Amino acid sequence: MPEDDALMHILPSQTSSGSQRVMVEVAGLCKDFGAHRVLDNIHLTVDPGEVIAIIGPSGSGKSTLLRCINLLERPSAGAIRVGDVEIDAFRKITRRELLAFRRPIGMVFQSFNLFPHLSVLRNVSIAQERVLKRSREEADAVSRQLLERVGLGSKADQYPARCSGGQQQRIAIARALALEPELMLFDEPTSALDPELGLEVLNVMQELATAGMTMIVVTHEMHFAESVSNRVIIMADGKIIEEGPSVQVMRSPHSERAKQFLGAVLNR
Amino acid sequence: MIDMLEFWRQSLPQLLTGYRLSLLVTGASLFLGIPLGLLLALSLQTRSTWLKLPSLSVVEIGRGASILVLLQFVYFGMPSVGLTFSSFASVTIAFTWCTAAYTSEIIRAGLESVPQGQREAGEALGMTRLDILRIVILPQGLPVSVPALLGFSILMLQASSLAFVVALPELMSKAQLIGSNTFRYMPLFTLTAILYAAVCIPATIVVGFLERRLSRHF
Repeated sequence: MPEDDALMHILPSQTSSGSQRVMVEVAGLCKDFGAHRVLDNIHLTVDPGEVIAIIGPSGSGKSTLLRCINLLERPSAGAIRVGDVEIDAFRKITRRELLAFRRPIGMVFQSFNLFPHLSVLRNVSIAQERVLKRSREEADAVSRQLLERVGLGSKADQYPARCSGGQQQRIAIARALALEPELMLFDEPTSALDPELGLEVLNVMQELATAGMTMIVVTHEMHFAESVSNRVIIMADGKIIEEGPSVQVMRSPHSERAKQFLGAVLNR
Repeated sequence: MIDMLEFWRQSLPQLLTGYRLSLLVTGASLFLGIPLGLLLALSLQTRSTWLKLPSLSVVEIGRGASILVLLQFVYFGMPSVGLTFSSFASVTIAFTWCTAAYTSEIIRAGLESVPQGQREAGEALGMTRLDILRIVILPQGLPVSVPALLGFSILMLQASSLAFVVALPELMSKAQLIGSNTFRYMPLFTLTAILYAAVCIPATIVVGFLERRLSRHF
């Protein structure tokens, strides 16, 4: 059945060719807003199935880095490869390349960004129809299964405004998953939610991580960073100041700046 | 009083034929002008200069020049370059231009009211620019513009009275004509005003109703 097939693809298939290859490669990435350098020579690689948490103080460039990875922000310098598609900041990117580059990447925003004029079901189905060229029935079947999976099967026919923030964010996750991404980007997915609703979302994300999804998560959830992610990156002033296995980075950071930041967030 | 009602009864058929023409010319201008306004609004948002500059001139001339000037320019001016239009066509061209120019700004404001995150969500989902426009931006941006567009349409109906300067026999011309024969301007223009108001006031109520209804899901 096609819909089962679709769901299988949500988990990155370990058998497909080149699965052992690094999935994301960021090299020498810089981003300037006017004279202000927001990202300064960022290097980052992500393996398939890896879950990376990016933490750091506000204004450190975490979100900008994430947004550069799917080209919502155009890098000022550097190269980014995701899967088989590579782009270079110095070369003009055609519209076709842009679509191909974004194809394997799903993104979840801090402010959900669901389409308020479409029902929950249409929100999850519409891009499947337009991007994957699925029929409406096929797309709706996949959508219903995904909504079920994030615990919102009963909300399919509601409008987003009738759902709580936590529900909206889980719908947004389902919407991104419906396109069978190989990489999921989360931009502070729980920052707009109260702790209880945030937990619903974190549970879905944890389940996704366990299922083998490659994820890059910008977050202020220190517990998630330590216990769910494989690797933690601490950013400050547009640079990566600390990077390594989660527990190690969270418990015994090397740099003074990282110690100061973690001291501030963990001892509150 | 009875005398006035009798005068109204006599003038009304003539005024109504004029009013039909007023509504027709306004309707035609809106029907052509609003889609044109949408196109202008969209081309003003592109980065392509040779789409943007002509659109900008059309909008700025349409808004900058008085509608009376546009009207006389088309009717009296264009024949000197070999383009002669009937008074109905002249009015429709001038009013369409004016409508396109003003509604392009109304529509642009509506489209810009859609949060940037909506476009980003579409982009992150890998949708094409046309799909994002069609599926995400227009369905949210246009309803925002509807009340202002209707308000503008009401103004255009009233402005259609200017068409009397090019001898289009619409409501205002008819009233002038009757007035110059009977000299009973006071009751005559009272009736004319009532006729305009009879369409405009209910239309205003519809605008209010639409404003409430269109904001349902947000």
